[in-house]
Amino acid sequence: MYEDLKKDIQGKFPAKFEVIRERRIKVSIDKNSVLPFLSYIKSKGFIHLISISCVDWIKENEFEIVYHLWSYTDEIHIMLKTRISRKKPIFETASEIYPVAQTFEREIHEMFGVDFKGNKRQIPFILEDWDDIPPMRKDFDPLKYAKSHFETEEYTEEVWTKVRKIQKFRGEE
Amino acid sequence: MKGFEYFIGPQHLGIPGNFGIIVNVDGDTIVKARANPGYLHRAFEKLMERRLYLSNVSVVCRICVFDPDPQEAAYCMAVEEIAKIEVPERAKWIRTMILEFARISSHLIYLGSLTSALGLYTVMQWALTDRDYILDLLEMITGGRVYHIFMQPGGVRRDLPEGFKEKAKKVLDSLKSRLSDYYNLIFDNNIFVHRTRGVGVLDPEWALSMGVTGPNLRACGYKIDVRKDDPYLAYPELDFEVPVLEDCDMYDRAMLRMKEIEQSIRILEQILDRIPDGSVWKPVPNPINWEVPKGESFVRVESARGEVAYYMVSDGEDKPYRVNVRGPSITHGILVLEKVLEGQRLADISPIVFSLDVCAPSIDR
Repeated sequence: MYEDLKKDIQGKFPAKFEVIRERRIKVSIDKNSVLPFLSYIKSKGFIHLISISCVDWIKENEFEIVYHLWSYTDEIHIMLKTRISRKKPIFETASEIYPVAQTFEREIHEMFGVDFKGNKRQIPFILEDWDDIPPMRKDFDPLKYAKSHFETEEYTEEVWTKVRKIQKFRGEE
Repeated sequence: MKGFEYFIGPQHLGIPGNFGIIVNVDGDTIVKARANPGYLHRAFEKLMERRLYLSNVSVVCRICVFDPDPQEAAYCMAVEEIAKIEVPERAKWIRTMILEFARISSHLIYLGSLTSALGLYTVMQWALTDRDYILDLLEMITGGRVYHIFMQPGGVRRDLPEGFKEKAKKVLDSLKSRLSDYYNLIFDNNIFVHRTRGVGVLDPEWALSMGVTGPNLRACGYKIDVRKDDPYLAYPELDFEVPVLEDCDMYDRAMLRMKEIEQSIRILEQILDRIPDGSVWKPVPNPINWEVPKGESFVRVESARGEVAYYMVSDGEDKPYRVNVRGPSITHGILVLEKVLEGQRLADISPIVFSLDVCAPSIDR
């Protein structure tokens, strides 16, 4: 079963093929062959795009885009991996092949700053008025961001005096 | 465009969680709808990169408020797969049991909220009562009612307490005896039938291509269930059926949940009778300073709302390098909801949102 699939895939694409365990396959592929691969594999029955993940490999200066595909007929999961440059994160959309990809790409665009060319709806998704680098990148420091954007209250003696007053009023000692 | 723009949410009685929908209406017919999530973004994926593997269990359960256990289970299974830990059989069965109790409790909330969106408030009161008995059981095992934080990489925290089996059987029996009342009250009710038959219909082919999963897909006539297709925990050893209905409308989606409750009771009875003995936790190397080996894993779990999937990457440190959570509502709540709402009446928005079982916190994470 897996051997046939391996032959099929490697006959068409220069891909690294690996069986991780039962029902789990990993395919690594060059970024230029991702879209042809997706159209091919969809015609082979992998019609369910479970999700798209993005991993920030900051040391290698690359983003890894991971497509999770599932075949309802063969009951196999393919993890399709490809890497793109982190400096110029531009990639192509898969929403023409899998319409559901639109939402996943929208999220990756917002959280990692990857621009999916051809995605018709790369509008703000979850964040509002964001003015920093995309937050899921590894070089984004949430603590620093929180300190510069939100007021914090120091727990001084003055604050505690207020708290104690309230506690006394409520009868909580 | 004719008509005007109308904002539903983010605080609205007919929306689960804080979640907005912007609709363009012509008269009271919806012309166009746009989902507007983001009010519950707590950056859990980022948070998990900065927490220990063990502490993350208390983060993931908050991803979906009414259905937290599948998230816990999926997270733990993802860690175990990377670290190559074999979970003891008894722990697997206890996890399966908790997952099924969680499924029933989520479906009861579903029935209650769907019907109360249609003005049938009795069901909500009954459903919450029955759910409370289940929460009592979960409290007995785990110590918590809604969030359990009971599963952990390697197994579960404690064994079942004494007297649990008897109490669980009693609760299941009482729930079974109530099912016919639910059928009478909901599905024989004329108002419910008129408001739900042929409303909020999904096109089966389209639903499959849009990544609809779980009960919503099974109500479109596809016999697809992660528990059967990609078995995990103790499900391969249990005997149960996957109910399927054909009409793809709100009525069938609700009916399917009723049938799933019956199946879950069947699974739970088998578990209570056949649960194997043994230890419940395989010790992991010092959980406070546990360096999980390099690797990655992809795990799927069938939650009450659809498919939950975790993609986890470890780079050999004591915190995960990246965790990507795929909740069922990221497809149901955005593109599917927008399409289903088109052409419907304004008064049907709340029932439709509830009937798709959208869980807003799991969209934002």
